[in-house]
Amino acid sequence: MIPFVGRRLLATIPTLFGVLVVAFLLLNVVPGDPVAEMVGERADSATIARLRAELHLDEPIPAQFGHYLWGVVRGDLGRSYITQRPVLGDLAERFPKTLQLAGAAMLLAATCGITLGVLAAIRPGGAIDRFSMLIAYVGISFPVYWVGLLLILLFAVALRWLPPSGYGGIAFLVLPALTLGTRSIAFLARMTRGTMLEILPTDYVRTARAKGLAERRVIGRHALRNALLPIITVLGLDVGNYLTGSILTETIFSWPGVGRYVLLAIQRRDLPAVQGSILFLSVVFVLVNLLTDVLYAKADPRIAYD
Amino acid sequence: MLRHLLSTVNLFDTTKRALFLCILAACHGESGGGDRGRGLIYYETYDPRSLDPALSTDVPTGEMVTLLFDGLTQFDADGQLLPGLSDRWTADRKAVRYVFHLRSAVRFHDGRPLVAGDVKRAFLRVLNPETHGGRVWPLMPIAGAGEFAAGRASDVRGIEVLGDTAVAFTLSEPLAVFPKFLAMPVASVVPSPVPADIGQRPVGTGPWRFVVWEHDDYLRFAKNPDYWGGAPGSESLTVRIIPEPLTRAAEFLAGRVSVTEIPFGETARWEQEHPDWLKRKPALRAVYVALNNRRGPLRDPNVRRAINHAVNVPEILRTVWSGRGAPAAGAIPPALGGSDPSRRPYAYDTTEARRLLRTAGFADGFAVQLWRSGTNVELGRVAQAIQSQLAAVGIRVEIVSRDASSMREAVRKGATDMAILDWWADYPDADNFLYPLFHTASFGPGGNYSFYSDQVTDSLILVARRTVDQRAREALYARIDDRVFQAAPWIYLWFPVDLWAAHPSIDGWDVPVIFNGQRWTKVRVK
Repeated sequence: MIPFVGRRLLATIPTLFGVLVVAFLLLNVVPGDPVAEMVGERADSATIARLRAELHLDEPIPAQFGHYLWGVVRGDLGRSYITQRPVLGDLAERFPKTLQLAGAAMLLAATCGITLGVLAAIRPGGAIDRFSMLIAYVGISFPVYWVGLLLILLFAVALRWLPPSGYGGIAFLVLPALTLGTRSIAFLARMTRGTMLEILPTDYVRTARAKGLAERRVIGRHALRNALLPIITVLGLDVGNYLTGSILTETIFSWPGVGRYVLLAIQRRDLPAVQGSILFLSVVFVLVNLLTDVLYAKADPRIAYD
Repeated sequence: MLRHLLSTVNLFDTTKRALFLCILAACHGESGGGDRGRGLIYYETYDPRSLDPALSTDVPTGEMVTLLFDGLTQFDADGQLLPGLSDRWTADRKAVRYVFHLRSAVRFHDGRPLVAGDVKRAFLRVLNPETHGGRVWPLMPIAGAGEFAAGRASDVRGIEVLGDTAVAFTLSEPLAVFPKFLAMPVASVVPSPVPADIGQRPVGTGPWRFVVWEHDDYLRFAKNPDYWGGAPGSESLTVRIIPEPLTRAAEFLAGRVSVTEIPFGETARWEQEHPDWLKRKPALRAVYVALNNRRGPLRDPNVRRAINHAVNVPEILRTVWSGRGAPAAGAIPPALGGSDPSRRPYAYDTTEARRLLRTAGFADGFAVQLWRSGTNVELGRVAQAIQSQLAAVGIRVEIVSRDASSMREAVRKGATDMAILDWWADYPDADNFLYPLFHTASFGPGGNYSFYSDQVTDSLILVARRTVDQRAREALYARIDDRVFQAAPWIYLWFPVDLWAAHPSIDGWDVPVIFNGQRWTKVRVK
């Protein structure tokens, strides 16, 4: 396992280099001028030209990329043009908050989604099945911002049980986590139900029942464990997406995470902040995928990496 | 990824309101209350750049700097110029040399006394290329500032420190509005030597002291009990970062922000349900369409006048902008000296528009592009209304929607035919609506996005800048505005009226006409 992880980590280096090149080229191709965003609505051409030179923006693109790459190799993601703060520091400040939100959403999604899916699969066509599939439909169909605002109006404005938005204790986490997790709950419920329905009629489940195991044990130990692979896949993809910033949820709930940071950086053409964020988030994504692969092996002993 | 992100956000902006307003309406009855005892709570839509005055190039940064620092002069909520760190100043007859006398016994938040040398060092720091500030224009009129900013001089010869209590400025040419330039956040006085981390842990002389800044979340300030202008009426001021307008309204209704701007779509309901909470004030802002005076048919003044006659401004204002504004008959907002109330806007008259188009040789109309920023939903709707009205006189408008940054770049390069824009005052003076918007020297990044150029206008604007007598200056502004209006470099739309709600739990807050006109010193929690 350890050599596998090591090899995978080494293999990410070209991937990340590719990400850097593509991000850098893209940012230089899209219209919009970082210096214009720095100087604001009114400026003189001399100031603009001076700033452009000071930021090396007047150099050829390969030279600019060289500067940037040299910084990255030394672990320096540069400073934001706009705020003049180090990009890595900005990300380090925001990422734990995104992690917190993503973690809460996934916890919610995993518990609710899998439970609903299993319950639905035990009695297909029954009341619980129909109820959980209704939730799944609704959860997949409703847009995130709609769910978010609805929750704010209901729980924060009308009932006043929870704060509408902001970052703080558990109370602040509930609504955004629910908003972010809704889709995953819905998707996981459907996925779990489908897989369980395939597994329940198999021979080994029948054998488990035949040898007199309690139904709870048959479902939990024998059926669900075999249904885990697709569930882990879905969870892994969702975690990857959540960790790389959930712009809509963070915006609606004024959550100070990386999603809003990246969005604002893109809007202001803050090149170091955008590039740094893309690189950082790519690393996160790669690591989550690696973790998913490792979990496959844990869930299914037949999968062995060597 | 970029494209996808941007389109996601646009979609988000445009569709959510329609889906959602009905539900907000249902919950609206349950409002009121408030978190008393938590102090005052204001908001910004995004995190300030920094708290360093030298970096104040956008509104959130400028507003925060205004709370923490003082300039030699300042504005009140109505845009009146007031003494700041300088309690009196004198100018020579030509408006070239100014002497500012400092208030005595002013101290920075760390206890250091303010001296005249601080003013000079603060200004040098703003101009210093090492600062990478970007907004140097308010200090550029000082003699020698340009050479210093370009690294060609080691000092600014136009700034002279007179002992500890006064500082004199010699300008490179006469400028009557210079004291207003010094009220801009970038001209705030910082202590010297400057604290290394002034952008994150600022030390100023302002009414509020810095307490904490959680990025993208909130900033907290405590009252400066020793403030020279009298200590603020509340113990603390929190500024939350809330990007989404509907969330902001919900926060206000939950009593977790003290004031909120009313989203356009909700104007009527708030007016009906909470008329006593609302405060309105004509803003120092102009909404207009820049017609590129150097491109295609738009080069012809008759075509530009025809376009003005073809657009039904009062109707668009009423339907799209909820009536929150006054139709523009010129570029100078009515609240400023130099605005001429007797001038009539271009009348909505499609027959006259067609006649003018025939005169110009475009009887069959022509095709143009109208650029809009995808992030500004309201202006986008205005663009659509203009598109359909111009179609009636044969002008085929293609709307080009881009994100704000791409649009700004194109507009500044002169690569757009028409662009819908708004202009916010930096300082409350007609000069701020004429020099940047219509002087030839302001082409592109300077603010003249219509590339209007007229020698007479240019020289009149410069004469006005030199004119010390206020009445004579205002007469000149009215004349310039009239001259430009006849040439129609814009589609003159309207001057917005700002509409805010102040929570019943607070007292003494007023909508500022200019972003740095509200220092929250007279606001109390009841």
